[in-house]
Amino acid sequence: MTEWWDYGLADFLLFSPRVYYRLFETMNSVWWMAVLAAFVAGLVAAGMAMRHGHRGNRVILVLLSLIWAWASYGFVWQYYQPINWAVAYILPGFVIEVLLLLVFAARPLPLRFGWRGDLTSYVGAAIMVVAIVIYPFVGLLEGRDLIQAELFGSAADPTALGTLGFVLMARGTWRWLLLPVPLIWCAFAAATLWVMDQQIAYVMLIAVWLTIFSGWLDLKNGVTTRRLTKAELADPPPISD
Amino acid sequence: MSEIDRRRFMQGAGALGLSASLGALMPGVAHGALRKDVPDIIRKQVPSTGEAIPAVGLGSWITFNVGNDMALRDQCADVVSAFFNAGGRMIDSSPMYGSAQEVIGYCLDKLGAHDRVFSTDKVWTSGDGLDQISETRKRWNTRKFDLLQVHNLLGINDNLPLLFRLKNEGQLRYVGVTTSHGRRTEDLIAVMKNERLDFVQVTYNPVDRKVEEYLLPLAYDRGIAVIVNRPFRGGSLLDQLEGEPLPEFAAELEVESWAQLILKYLIAHPSVTCPIPATTNPAHAAENMRAATGRLPDDKMREQIAAVIGVLI
Repeated sequence: MTEWWDYGLADFLLFSPRVYYRLFETMNSVWWMAVLAAFVAGLVAAGMAMRHGHRGNRVILVLLSLIWAWASYGFVWQYYQPINWAVAYILPGFVIEVLLLLVFAARPLPLRFGWRGDLTSYVGAAIMVVAIVIYPFVGLLEGRDLIQAELFGSAADPTALGTLGFVLMARGTWRWLLLPVPLIWCAFAAATLWVMDQQIAYVMLIAVWLTIFSGWLDLKNGVTTRRLTKAELADPPPISD
Repeated sequence: MSEIDRRRFMQGAGALGLSASLGALMPGVAHGALRKDVPDIIRKQVPSTGEAIPAVGLGSWITFNVGNDMALRDQCADVVSAFFNAGGRMIDSSPMYGSAQEVIGYCLDKLGAHDRVFSTDKVWTSGDGLDQISETRKRWNTRKFDLLQVHNLLGINDNLPLLFRLKNEGQLRYVGVTTSHGRRTEDLIAVMKNERLDFVQVTYNPVDRKVEEYLLPLAYDRGIAVIVNRPFRGGSLLDQLEGEPLPEFAAELEVESWAQLILKYLIAHPSVTCPIPATTNPAHAAENMRAATGRLPDDKMREQIAAVIGVLI
């Protein structure tokens, strides 16, 4: 008589939206310098990732790694875990993501970020823009204060969301390894937001679906499996379209 | 258990030791200070011992899970203060409720109210129950609970014997089991029939009345106290009734709100010992406690309450 499947999704909503959004208010107030630095690091990384053929691929990966490390400790562990014990089971995934990003940065042939003009690039860029520019301020439309903004780089949801965009903007073998943790988090976040009656849950679900679809397209077109050459990394070809 | 005529056990209200008082309740003294004098309110007996406890308690699901946010912790302390000042005693929590246990411990420490509370918590694990209870004690900053329950019957084969052992060793006063949302009714019935439980916790309100058919009569028959969770369906019942005028007959019960009407509906059931509404508002905590004063509805009026609410939602 120990059936865990007896529970429904709503049973695991342990907190109210009021308490949830207060987490961001408190973090943004107490750690404002770190939050701002992480946001700027995200903007810089996004700008570099959008530019075709930029050679700062390792910088982007290191910045993302630092951002994930900060979001893991600063938000997930310090603020979110006390009100949601389920998060403790996902936190090791955040550590894995940090390490994976560092491993990719240290590889002889790291991922190459850049606009390719294909559907995956459009999806990746759109997700990045939503995560960094739009998502943090959706709360304003719902009457929440600016201080409660969920900023990319610190808040887990936009950080995971934006990372999906970064990975879609990248090219190189094994890049899909960077997807499971942010995908799982986005699905988890969507479920949480759904039971809290927050419409933004749809954005997370759509991003998950688009990422999986784009990844499948890339796999089909050989983008994912084709190994980058040193020449490509050093001197990227011009945009074909 | 034989089928019990519903009318028969409705008549048993007196046997359960209802002691209503019309004594005026002061609204909860806001922001901290506990009053020494406790208002005289309706108390109901725990059948296994005869101990009388206030007929309304305080739940902590969602409302007390505020993490390390000190401003919100202090708001919770205001709720607890208002609850105690209005005569309340039973506070219920669970390891499942995030930081709620810790926050309750904070409130009791802040108010110096460990001697005022009827401490009610749960064991919710298929692993080491004793380890979890030890952690729960630390969070509440208490050495002995009044009541521990097996939460949603999880790991009951291990956890129920553990709770009985703690009770036998004097480390616990009462043993119970809980379910919610009408789940696992068959399992619950089996446990109620086969074990000497002090308490059972179930979902019950004027809309979710399935427990009236069998569980409440069984509890009455077996001498098991009943704690009622989700009296307002997690608040959604009150949201749906918001703005609707109270029925005329509510004036006879001296109720000020739908919340009080629903609580009186529950308290008046002879099997029910204590509904445990949750709130983040000190005024609501005091208002809920005022449902445990004055006249209670009779059988006919309870049916009217259920009918009116059934139509409105």
